[in-house]
Amino acid sequence: MGLALAKEGSRLHRRRQVIGWVLFALVVVVIPFLIADTYSATIFGNRYTVGLGNLSQAIAFMVAILGLNIATGYSGQLSLGHSFFVGSGAYLTAVLVNDFHWSYLSTLVVVVPGLFLFGVLFGLPALRIQGLYLGLLTFVMATVFPSIIRLEELADRTGGSNGLLIGSDLVAPSWAPTETVAEWLHSIPGLGARVPDGFTSRQSEAVYKYFLLVIVAAVCFWLVRNILVGRVGRALIAIRDNQLGAVANGINLAAYKTLSFGLSAAVGGVAGTMLAMHSGFVGPDEFGFNLAILLIVGSIVGGVATLHGAVAGGLVIQFVPHWSGQTQTLPGTDIALQGPYGGVILGVLLIAIVFALPSGAANGFRQLKARFMPVVPQAPARSVIVSPDA
Amino acid sequence: MLFCRLATTLGTFDISLDKLSDGELWLAQFFRGLSDGATYASLALALVMIYKSTGFINFAQGSLALLGVYLVYVFSVEQGLPIAVAVVCAMVASALVAMFIERTFIRPFPPNNVLPLVIVTLGLLLIIDSAVGIVWQFRTRSLPSMFSDSAPIQWGIARLTWRTIGNLGAVFVVVGLLYVLMARTKIGLAFRAVSSNLESAQLMGIRVGSTLGFGWALAAAIGTLSGALVVPDLLLEPSVMLRVLIFSLAAAALGGLDSMVGAVLGGLVVGLTRNLLVTFLDLSELALATAVAVILVVLLARPTGFLGTVRRERV
Repeated sequence: MGLALAKEGSRLHRRRQVIGWVLFALVVVVIPFLIADTYSATIFGNRYTVGLGNLSQAIAFMVAILGLNIATGYSGQLSLGHSFFVGSGAYLTAVLVNDFHWSYLSTLVVVVPGLFLFGVLFGLPALRIQGLYLGLLTFVMATVFPSIIRLEELADRTGGSNGLLIGSDLVAPSWAPTETVAEWLHSIPGLGARVPDGFTSRQSEAVYKYFLLVIVAAVCFWLVRNILVGRVGRALIAIRDNQLGAVANGINLAAYKTLSFGLSAAVGGVAGTMLAMHSGFVGPDEFGFNLAILLIVGSIVGGVATLHGAVAGGLVIQFVPHWSGQTQTLPGTDIALQGPYGGVILGVLLIAIVFALPSGAANGFRQLKARFMPVVPQAPARSVIVSPDA
Repeated sequence: MLFCRLATTLGTFDISLDKLSDGELWLAQFFRGLSDGATYASLALALVMIYKSTGFINFAQGSLALLGVYLVYVFSVEQGLPIAVAVVCAMVASALVAMFIERTFIRPFPPNNVLPLVIVTLGLLLIIDSAVGIVWQFRTRSLPSMFSDSAPIQWGIARLTWRTIGNLGAVFVVVGLLYVLMARTKIGLAFRAVSSNLESAQLMGIRVGSTLGFGWALAAAIGTLSGALVVPDLLLEPSVMLRVLIFSLAAAALGGLDSMVGAVLGGLVVGLTRNLLVTFLDLSELALATAVAVILVVLLARPTGFLGTVRRERV
């Protein structure tokens, strides 16, 4: 059953990988045009929607989970307060755009190093406090974030409880080929019927935002992947798996642990910037306890310590609550499921997902792939040991 | 910007000095701190029970307590039972519910893989909280207390009420009973064996599943009691236990996650800090932040809290 065996690194394997990536890229490019008008499907009398806005937010969540994965998944530092970093990034962006008239993307110049430093500071106590104690401390910290934003001293900058409407729009530059691509897609028979004929300015703005977020996310994933497959990633995994063993092998525990928090916070900050870009609004309660829980849920459901897991997790924490809220009738009965029923459905779904995929969606996907597209792993080329004094 | 806060605090220090020399205020806040602390301690005890037996934090503990409090409401206000009887009935009922939950949702998962269990307890939190909202709606109600609000000791505004004394007493009684249960009974022995080494306990013929179920039942009963202690001071509504849960998590971390006496100590410290620091430094909107600061300082000095077991690694 399934495709032929392919040796790892063989031409067949490479070809399959390339085809996979091309298909993925096609989906990423085509989807915004398909759902620029909110796509909806009616299943068992419930109307479920997928909007481009949902997808953009999911992309920001993916990056947030990616950041969380660095500290919690790869280096094993249980951090339940990731929403703190995401929120800081979002507010930093909002204030810079509003009060200093920066453009959204240029705020990353401040957000990334600023949050990196903040994460390093945050990582210092984590050198001493470990495991669940660290988890609880960070969790309580996450619940503090809204009250810090509401402080009177900060309120004239942060907008206090009212939140902050960011007074800058992302308008697609004139060279953006949105219209051309849309027309081209529209001319494809079958698929084209779903693509609107002409875009309103709001729609083309949404499409532009989406692609901007996709690019930022892709850069984040690419950079993080490069960090994690290299020396740093090995060191972090070694620390997670056996701290004493890692130290015995010459890994500087303090440096790498604080580094992992710094990176995690920096990526979280980028996610915050992305959320601010997406919604054009930041409010204190968006970045509290609920987001902290959602992110950890996304990380575990997607699969800790995997990059694919961050993608799956971002989609799950965006769409599962969204669709739970939209489930309004129970098929076959006339019970109206409104208000708090959404919470019940979400809870049941979470438990069901964990039942079905206890080690996360990414690992489930990997198993499926191994079944239908088996790859024979090959031993890596013999490594050459370079003596330090050579 | 936090420095602004510090500067304003220092600037208004003369006012704070006034406050500091106000013995009545000190005592009043001290008593309030004790009362709050007792309630945090009781929910922290429930968290510690689960942590001791399974090694993870049950995020649904607050929700189980919430369900318990609503059961207290049903038994006392709707059925007209005396409040103390209602609390006992609700404790038994919530223990049964918790055993059912443990059997259906927790036991199918391997006990040594914590992460899926965390998600399951978060899912349970959502389900129970929403279900309570569906059944009892979101309007606020008031719940009678087991202890009267009259004060046997009064000094100006400082009142040591029977309620404070009762809350504290209840917590100490619970700790005492738990100690006797753990140290002197067979099921306590089984519980300790399971929490010390699950596999060895299993090999010795201890029924691990039902022992853990017993732990859940006990924790839920304690949680219900804690809700019955705290809610009369607040109003009963579906999100009431969430705030208490956060302070109790702080208390459990502060006292040491696997120590019952530590949980009580942690609860009292969090309660007292919350009331004393917040009043004297004028930090009312930063109540939680001060709690975080205290935990941070304590955990930096002692990474496993006041009384938590220090884990040593053997290579």
